[in-house]
Amino acid sequence: MVLSAVWQDTREFLITLSKNWAAVGVSSGQAARFVFSLKQSVFEIIAKEQLKAELHNNVVWDANILIDELGLFVIEMYQKSREDIIKRQQQELLELSTPVVKIWNGILILPLIGTLDSARTQIVLENLLQSIVDTESSIAIIDITGVPTVDTLVAQHLLKTVSAARLMGTQCVISGIRPQIAQTMVHLGVTFSDVVTKATLADALFYAFNAVGFAVQKKS
Amino acid sequence: MEHIPILKVGDFLLVTIQVDMHDRLVMQLQDDVCQRVVKDKAKGVLIDISSLEVVDSFIGRMLGTIATMTKTLGAETVVVGMRPAVAITIVELGLKLENVHTALNVDRGIALLQSLVYQKDAMQ
Repeated sequence: MVLSAVWQDTREFLITLSKNWAAVGVSSGQAARFVFSLKQSVFEIIAKEQLKAELHNNVVWDANILIDELGLFVIEMYQKSREDIIKRQQQELLELSTPVVKIWNGILILPLIGTLDSARTQIVLENLLQSIVDTESSIAIIDITGVPTVDTLVAQHLLKTVSAARLMGTQCVISGIRPQIAQTMVHLGVTFSDVVTKATLADALFYAFNAVGFAVQKKS
Repeated sequence: MEHIPILKVGDFLLVTIQVDMHDRLVMQLQDDVCQRVVKDKAKGVLIDISSLEVVDSFIGRMLGTIATMTKTLGAETVVVGMRPAVAITIVELGLKLENVHTALNVDRGIALLQSLVYQKDAMQ
């Protein structure tokens, strides 16, 4: 009933309303109650018509169903706008969580935190390659201290990133492999062959400094 | 028949790809590069693909093939200036590009070629 063309304007009004409510934090119950509160006034109007008992019952029943449907529609729309907000925030979080930092002239660091899935790898990859172009770095350190587990899939994603960077002319170093992870990797048969790996970020940084021709010295 | 120009710079050949590649053009390039490596006694080939926006599996594979061929003829190949999108495509296509050295820009490519060639000379 509510989805028919006659109710187009009402629907649009309710969609805007639900969106606004979802944005300001009105609860879904309150939103539904707003629509259901129409019942009392509608029934009063029907009562004033003084219809015959049977007709009156039918009209009341129809009005009841209609308002219920409107209420459900509002809740649905409210939920949908909520879900949209959540989706957008997830996307933002995804982009926020993959920073590429230029730590020295020609050296980039990419600290990875959280699980690597294909969607995230794609973003990481694009960010890294763009930063390589922007900073003309010749070495990139991928730090996986914050990656909880490295299975075959994650390793494959990492290797993809490394090969793409290599094609652009940048060498990658993978650092932050914890002892636990090293053990699981070997048990799973995952190897980072052809890639320089270091246990800690400090080791990787030292290697990178060497590779670009810097030396760190203690002040005498 | 259009050609991609091949310039001789010292011991190296410089190939700058500035048009969209199609299959026949790549085949032509492969032929030309091999001819010129022999004719000019080049020790290295530098292929600048910074203007190349699209690659398919064939062109990607041909880059590897050209590198392998020049290596057989005694010249190293360095591909420079690959765009991020192109790099991602090549990785997604699963191409290995063995024998291909890479560098960020022509400057570093020449430096890399020099170090590769000198190393080889020193070994002999």
